[in-house]
Amino acid sequence: MSYTMFRTFQVHPFLLYPTSILKRRNGFLYSTTIPKATQSSQTETKVSTSSQSKNLYKIPKDYEAVIGIETHVQLSTLTKAFCNCPYSYGSFPNSSICPVCMGLPGALPVLNNKVIEFAVKLGLALNCNLAFNSKFDRKQYFYPDLPKGYQISQFDVPIAASGFLDVDIPLEFGGGHKRFGITRVHMEEDAGKLMHTEKGNYSQVDLNRAGVPLLEIVSEPDMRNGIEAAEYAAEIQRLVRYLGVSNGNMQEGSLRCDVNVSVRPIGQSKFGTKVEVKNLNSFSSMSRAIDFEISRQVLLHSQGQEDQIVQETRLWEEGSQRTITMRKKEGLADYRYFPEPDLPSVILSQEYVDGIQTSLPELPEEKRRRYEKMGLGMQDVIFLANDKNIAEFFDATLAKGADAKSAANWIMSDIAAFMKNEKLTINDIKLTPEELSELIASIKGGIISGKIGKEILFELLAKGGSVKEIIEKKDLVQITDPVEIEKMVVKVIEENPKQLEQYRGGKTKLQGYFAGQVMKASKGKANPGLLNKILLEKLNSTT
Amino acid sequence: MSSKMLLRGTPLTLTLWNPKIQHKLLQLRRLSSKTNCSSLQPPNVSHLAKTAHISLTPTEVEEFGPKIQQVIGWFGQLQGVDLQSIEPSIRADTENNLRDNTPEIFDHRDAIIASVPSYEEPYIKVPKVLNVD
Repeated sequence: MSYTMFRTFQVHPFLLYPTSILKRRNGFLYSTTIPKATQSSQTETKVSTSSQSKNLYKIPKDYEAVIGIETHVQLSTLTKAFCNCPYSYGSFPNSSICPVCMGLPGALPVLNNKVIEFAVKLGLALNCNLAFNSKFDRKQYFYPDLPKGYQISQFDVPIAASGFLDVDIPLEFGGGHKRFGITRVHMEEDAGKLMHTEKGNYSQVDLNRAGVPLLEIVSEPDMRNGIEAAEYAAEIQRLVRYLGVSNGNMQEGSLRCDVNVSVRPIGQSKFGTKVEVKNLNSFSSMSRAIDFEISRQVLLHSQGQEDQIVQETRLWEEGSQRTITMRKKEGLADYRYFPEPDLPSVILSQEYVDGIQTSLPELPEEKRRRYEKMGLGMQDVIFLANDKNIAEFFDATLAKGADAKSAANWIMSDIAAFMKNEKLTINDIKLTPEELSELIASIKGGIISGKIGKEILFELLAKGGSVKEIIEKKDLVQITDPVEIEKMVVKVIEENPKQLEQYRGGKTKLQGYFAGQVMKASKGKANPGLLNKILLEKLNSTT
Repeated sequence: MSSKMLLRGTPLTLTLWNPKIQHKLLQLRRLSSKTNCSSLQPPNVSHLAKTAHISLTPTEVEEFGPKIQQVIGWFGQLQGVDLQSIEPSIRADTENNLRDNTPEIFDHRDAIIASVPSYEEPYIKVPKVLNVD
């Protein structure tokens, strides 16, 4: 079947396979020490960023930073962009290859229709204008992980352009809404993985990843500091997960961000020299790297040495918490773009686009605005809308009649704590939205007390079942009959004459002791409010 | 004339004395649409060779210059076409040619691996190159 994908394919051992790799007559070994794609362990150091970095890297008031971000999103299509090879992270090296993704002679690419669907989805979600007629181009350069010697990408006619992304800055960093422009979104293919050996003069290539579809999102240079940049990236991650186009894992490499940082004196319209920073493996390291780079550039400016800032690529070194030079950009790279002759235009119809538009789920930004309108505080709003599954659980609970504030409180406190302890996701827990709603209603209706509610919740989370069942089984119905409570109160007071005396002598704190005893006697079912009211009456009466 | 074949953007299958030059011509095609063939600069063969990662001896550089220019000139005949009233198009063919997102394992992976000149299980072994182009 796969033979229909490409024309006359013949395996010529040694003949047509690029022999230039071995017989390198040109020495193109630069003397830099940092390789392009390292597989060195990315240790996630938990640095307490906010207050510390804010003090160290405070931007002097007379400079502003201009930051732009390029994000590569690896699409979670089952197959690669231009061939039917499956892709799954972590599979055995060079196990998922074919002549097309290996770039063998005669093989021709055929576009995966899912890639267009995901590209349109993301373009619409980013509020872009779609190009109804776009094309692919060849981006030509030589590198061992690039089998064809060129990358199929989109150069001058990307599938989407001129959009924006709305973001809520977390409260601990000042809060507020921000809108960042999106310059373009385009489709392209990923390269393989190149690993350099410690000693030895050779490297190793795994082509499982070669040909995997990517969407490159280029932002407008709208961010002004590390926090904004990190939040932009976090929102992109949220968005691609909501849309289901990617799992957005930075650790896996399915979400990669490169940032461009420059500074300029406030009021100057001309941009300063732009520096690219790579090797950012988490949102927090993005934020810290940007802040460091800003302060590095501002320092040079203030010392009158802004000409020391050159257009280059720097790497973020997590260990030493600084950026270091990778290589100087000797002019812009000449990729010799030209239209990919082996692929036809990508044509979209209005019908197709409309279909995708209507199928879009409620996006994080829309959810946040809706939750805000319900009267929830921003802290709750941001938490609930962060994870699509949690938001769905919350919405389902509301649909069963619960009020927003109660549902939000339960989810954010007890349920979140349980998930964290047991290392479970909201889809794993046995509690259902219906039962949570039932629980909230039971407490509201006075059937059970809040404290009993927490106990029931724990059982529901761990074992499931229904609220009604548990209340019945364990006989947890709250005692709200004042006559009954009075009986218990009187009994407890009679049984504790010494404490009564102490209380009447002035130790009013002992009320808590009495209340505890009544609770014990009632097996925790006495309504606390009623209990204390009646208790106080009895304690303070002179009989 | 086979200009029709060229306009449809099918891959070139010219029989040239040197297959290395073939893919360079695809690039030159773009150049020739911009400038009049007679006013075209002689090709900077050393630069072309550098970008293609091909090393040439000084003799070869001298030899190839005029030969490349000849081929460009042959393409240059296209400049004679009157395009005044024609709408520029991105590409010639207009139909989507897509495939489904269904996984298929390629049967002859062993044959591919066997044809890799330098293979050290399970990786392709390559010289250490630390920088792109």
